[in-house]
Amino acid sequence: MTQSLAQVLHSHQDALLEQWLRDLSEASADVGFAPVHPELIEPLRKLFPAIIAQLGQAPDAAVSPQSSPASPASASESAQPAASSEQRAALDAQLQQLIAEQARLQRNLSDTLGFLLHLKHLLLKALLSAADQAVEERAILWLDQYFEQIAQQTLEHALAQRDRYISEQSLSIMELSTPVLRLWHQILLLPLVGVIDTGRARQITDHLLEAIAKYEARVTVIDLTGVPIIDTSVAQHIMKTIDAARLLGSRVVLTGISPEGAQTLTKLGIRFGDVISRASLRAGIAEALLITGKRIAAMEAGTR
Amino acid sequence: MNEPAPAERIAIRTHNDIVTARHAAREHSARLGFGRAYQTRLATAVSELTRNVIQYAGEGSCLIEGQNDADGCSIQVTVEDHGPGIPDLALALADGFSTSGGLGAGLPGTRRLVDHFQISSEPGLTRVVIRIRKAR
Repeated sequence: MTQSLAQVLHSHQDALLEQWLRDLSEASADVGFAPVHPELIEPLRKLFPAIIAQLGQAPDAAVSPQSSPASPASASESAQPAASSEQRAALDAQLQQLIAEQARLQRNLSDTLGFLLHLKHLLLKALLSAADQAVEERAILWLDQYFEQIAQQTLEHALAQRDRYISEQSLSIMELSTPVLRLWHQILLLPLVGVIDTGRARQITDHLLEAIAKYEARVTVIDLTGVPIIDTSVAQHIMKTIDAARLLGSRVVLTGISPEGAQTLTKLGIRFGDVISRASLRAGIAEALLITGKRIAAMEAGTR
Repeated sequence: MNEPAPAERIAIRTHNDIVTARHAAREHSARLGFGRAYQTRLATAVSELTRNVIQYAGEGSCLIEGQNDADGCSIQVTVEDHGPGIPDLALALADGFSTSGGLGAGLPGTRRLVDHFQISSEPGLTRVVIRIRKAR
């Protein structure tokens, strides 16, 4: 007689789970996935019953015997109603948690897929050995389809997760504020970091001009150490910022242009004209103090 | 000797792609053993050209190819777009000329940054090929 998938699953459930988790922990190089991270065991353990519950709903009506293995697409469409939407949701939640954990632990998605496919392998083996005579063809087909569907869901979750991550990151980069720091009386420091496009350039200029007016700054130190590439567009934005600062009566000291950057700028034919420029922020601050008639001096021995 | 990375084609559609392209150019040149000055020059040149693509054509592509041969190595970058084209190439290559209120240093400056510079433009296809080279 043939044994149904549900029966096999039910009777071997615990042993299967233990073997699965043990195999994952002791994975060797030839199985196609790295050993599982200890913190992933728990979500995998929770995922297991969800999978089993759905698999247990053998697709008696869903996969008709006539449907040939060559048309898995139409078969899987008809197989889907077999799993109740409640169970689907439960599985979805577990998968999502697994993916989130995997992302947090910075593990590979391919490993996670490998874990799931290994479970399919174990289930198939259990099914084949339990039903020592004829295994129901549709049970195998169903198992296959089901895991295809899980793999697909896993991928979708992983992609969604990544998309979220990327948009969060770009948001936080956009929000990198451009602080205008008050370095000393009448001296401002504007450290520029990252990509300077038209939008950010305008924001930077706004902030700076506001601060210059507020603090009656006589010198502004603009530090470019964190600007990776200074091309003509960036240079133009910086020049406009400098011009605007000058109109408000603040002199500008540029600092932090790298040797390569300087070479590139001259090759490009960009001149910063009569802007004071210093190689390091330290030299720039010294210059700013000089302009305002201040200096940093060691404390006298008696006052220490 | 370092093997060149496989050729890489980057679609240029948004400002972010400019960053991607110049980052890739820098990585490719670093991998072939170009010094920092070379890397910065190439990355800046790619930044200029891809920014032109965004500004004048809307979108295009950037192909980065590294090459290793008997007496040195080189990186070639091909930037293409299907925009309206540049009506007067000689003028566009002159210092200080800009149709967009820019510095007018982009194209002539880029030409000075690299060892080889070739440009062709007609309505519907503008192609700029640049190359930096390093002798062994």
